[in-house]
Amino acid sequence: MTTTLRRRELLLAAIAASTTGAYAQADAPVRIGFSMARTGIMAVATPPQQTTYDLWREQVNAAGGLDVGGKKRRVEFVSYDDQSKPEQAVRIYEKLITDDKVDLLLAPWGTPFHIAIAPVLEKYKFPVVGNTAASVALRQIKPGYLWFPTSAIPDRIGVELTAMMKAANVKSAAIVSNVLPFSKEIKNYLEPELKKAGIELKHTSEYPPDVKDMTATLTQVKQANVDAVIALAYPGDAILYAKQAKELGLTAPFQFIAIGPTAAFFAKAVGASSAEGVVTIAHWTPRPDWKGSQAFYDAYSKKYGEAPDYLDAALPWMSLEILQSAVARAGLDKEKIREIISKDTFETINGKVRFEGVQNVITPTAFVQMQKGKLQLVWPKSIATGAYEPKKGW
Amino acid sequence: MSSIVDTLLSGQLLFAALVTGSLYALVALGLNLVYGTLRMLNVAHGDVVMLGAYGAYWAFSVGGISPIVAAPAVAALGALAGLAVHRGLVRRLFATAGAGSTRLEGNSLLLFFGLSIILQNAAALAFTPNARGLAYWTEVYHLGNVAMTGNRIAALVIAGATCIAVAALLGRSLLGLSMRAVIEKREAATIVGIDVDRVQAISFALGFATAALAGALVSMLEQISPFTGFPFTIAAFIVIILGGLGNLFAGLGAALLLGALETYGVALTSANMRSVLLYGAFVAALLLFPKGLFARRARAA
Amino acid sequence: MSAVPVPAPATRAWAVAGLLGAAALAALPFFANPYLVATGLTLLMWLALTQSWCLLSKLTGYVSLGHVVFYGLGAYLVVVTWQSWPLPLAIAAAGALAALFAALIGLPVLRVRGPYFVILTFGIAELVKYSILAAEAASGTASRILFGAPDLIVIYFAMFALAAAATLLLVVVGRSRFGHGLRSLRENEEAAETLGVPVVRYKLLAFVLSAAIPGMVGAVMALRSTYFVVGQVFDPMISVTAIAMALLGGGDDTRGPILGTLFLFIVSEVLWIRAPLAYMLILGAVLAGFVLVAPGGILGLLDSRRARGASGA
Repeated sequence: MTTTLRRRELLLAAIAASTTGAYAQADAPVRIGFSMARTGIMAVATPPQQTTYDLWREQVNAAGGLDVGGKKRRVEFVSYDDQSKPEQAVRIYEKLITDDKVDLLLAPWGTPFHIAIAPVLEKYKFPVVGNTAASVALRQIKPGYLWFPTSAIPDRIGVELTAMMKAANVKSAAIVSNVLPFSKEIKNYLEPELKKAGIELKHTSEYPPDVKDMTATLTQVKQANVDAVIALAYPGDAILYAKQAKELGLTAPFQFIAIGPTAAFFAKAVGASSAEGVVTIAHWTPRPDWKGSQAFYDAYSKKYGEAPDYLDAALPWMSLEILQSAVARAGLDKEKIREIISKDTFETINGKVRFEGVQNVITPTAFVQMQKGKLQLVWPKSIATGAYEPKKGW
Repeated sequence: MSSIVDTLLSGQLLFAALVTGSLYALVALGLNLVYGTLRMLNVAHGDVVMLGAYGAYWAFSVGGISPIVAAPAVAALGALAGLAVHRGLVRRLFATAGAGSTRLEGNSLLLFFGLSIILQNAAALAFTPNARGLAYWTEVYHLGNVAMTGNRIAALVIAGATCIAVAALLGRSLLGLSMRAVIEKREAATIVGIDVDRVQAISFALGFATAALAGALVSMLEQISPFTGFPFTIAAFIVIILGGLGNLFAGLGAALLLGALETYGVALTSANMRSVLLYGAFVAALLLFPKGLFARRARAA
Repeated sequence: MSAVPVPAPATRAWAVAGLLGAAALAALPFFANPYLVATGLTLLMWLALTQSWCLLSKLTGYVSLGHVVFYGLGAYLVVVTWQSWPLPLAIAAAGALAALFAALIGLPVLRVRGPYFVILTFGIAELVKYSILAAEAASGTASRILFGAPDLIVIYFAMFALAAAATLLLVVVGRSRFGHGLRSLRENEEAAETLGVPVVRYKLLAFVLSAAIPGMVGAVMALRSTYFVVGQVFDPMISVTAIAMALLGGGDDTRGPILGTLFLFIVSEVLWIRAPLAYMLILGAVLAGFVLVAPGGILGLLDSRRARGASGA
């Protein structure tokens, strides 16, 4: 939950009244600001990030506070609704920096918002670890104050997905793509890769984000009779796609949906048998050799009653871990924080992360598949937790 | 790629067009009733659909009740809500703005817009903005080479039956006759002794009820969130404008036309063209027929 | 309008207040922090948009629910000519493009009346939006990034000029013979025509004039976000908000839109900061409540108070 001025007073009063001496009342809390779309069209997508931020704050405060250069201080959030408008996010970050004068900043949700605030961060020299942003356009951002831990960059996805399909003996494919930037980018990179690999592209089409019925498109896909159907969909249309793919009986063994199946909600909305076997983008799953990954999974599931989104919850957590590590050593000195983030290698729930420029160069571009109700990493082999299996109908 | 004739004769596409068209018809029906009898543009109409969808969703998730069984209950709740809004807000609006004024339309736009904001954000606060979806009756049936999911058949049948029932109500019953009288000429209706206020209250209730019912059906087909109401409002407006405001029967025809245009238009061009076709046809139709495709003789102010 | 004769509005008082407000806004960037300057920018934007809308819809009675189409076209032009046309040229061209578009569609569109016109204008805005989306998709463009936009101060003063222009335009037109002609056709179009008012020409001119400034406003605002989203610059909420501000203000001259804009703007700003969760709810309640309590808008409230004072009631 966000805290307004009033809540901060109440919180301080509560702490003053508490009998445990673990809280240092004399220290001011560390104020961390961000914007989040709580109304408007993006509001459906932001909850996993907000819940992850909240879980982190709870855990950090329960352990005595955030380690700021050796001293523990309680964390307090200052956040506002950007109403799903990037220009509003710009205003909010300007406010957080120049008016609210927060100590640290967290990233908003989504690629457009990360890119929109980049100039503001540059202007005020305020470092922020990004999370839920993925676009080749990110590389255009002057490296300095914003970094992106994700490996799901569309040009890499094109290469890796083709490689995975080749390994699965796919000879022909169909692409249906949402025209929103992320899916469109993937499509732009995937098509030439398929051609290079000799996989026949028998059908390719696009649809608008507000699509209500995909019968016509999917009928054509079914007639094309391909080995692989690549649905570059966003969560909303992913559900529609899955339902209509089931109705029309798309029997291709390799079924890929770009975004959607990493959320617990997907299986609930389309049914477990439909979700089974779907391949999607994600580079995280709880693994014993990734420190804290199982603990995060368990803590999130316990608090919120469902599994975390393997993309939109895991990435924010990673960005928080990185920030936490930097602040523990550099305190609130922004230039020192920036230096640490640019140069260091971090241990996160997704393994090691290191940035060159704005991008994370360690985490590989990866895919997961729903197997028996759980998402398993199936590509690349270096981090796989399970083997790819063809989908057996919807 | 199949030929154009194959596309047009496709049973699969026909099924899709009917499902889409029948839902449009149901949603537009309620909006048209409200406009016809009150001359108010209820821009919160789609949000009532959204609430109906949530009603069915919660009934299913918490109580295990199928959306089909929950639908009448959800519709009844919608009717109650409609009566409440009429009594609380609409009567007040008439009193302050005056029944026949043009200012009324502008003010009703603002009033219902305020209501829409309240509904959307109250839903977001109460239910969280998380998307919701349910999987119910997902078996697929085959008729010839047409595949039909059970929940879509149900939506089509229930939406269609409701529209026919309301049409019958309007055409045959005394209440229906009174409603049509109020829609045609409100002043004359008062003179012949019709209780206009009561008719308007019932129209409002029926309008909200059909919207809520549509919502319950939609919950089976798509994912819902507090902000998914607006597209339904837009679709309903397009339908009722095309058919001619207050012209309920023409509205049903316009809805099916729109469903067909969407489905076949997309099949013949591409999915990306869906909204271009829809709005393009709408704009063209209005420019050619400024009072709607099925314009009737002059209606009362 | 009230039945009791009301003394003429104290025009000089309003003009002085207006000039003071303008002076305050002009001075803002020199003493306020960037967040407040951005807030002022938003206010100026709404002033420009709402007054342009009033120029058409308040004076002629043709309520346009699609005015955002001009805003969006202007923004799109800037984005498409980014880094290839000098900005001042792009912004001016944006205004010209919007006016040209209005001129092209005006004649057939203005033949449609009443609520049909309302929804038609909405449909046109959506049609343009989806056509551009389809065109962008077809061209393979995934996203448009605008790095290197001018500083906030520059954008601020550009918007200040646009808001001033919109105000001036509405004042001048409102008092001119043209404006009176528009009002007469609002009251009764057929009668006005028989009396010799060139109805068709006047409607079209009002339509075109009301389009130019929103086009330039959209162009300038596009500079505020590095990431361009078609859906945002054609967002129907922009049209609806401008309408809400105008209706809340009441009347049909500049005082109404200015008061209404200030009111709604201040309420929204206070709310989204102080009540981050509930502010939209409260906003909706304010809008709905206002309509029930003061259907003539703020000006209506002021007028009736003055009327009560004059008649001693």
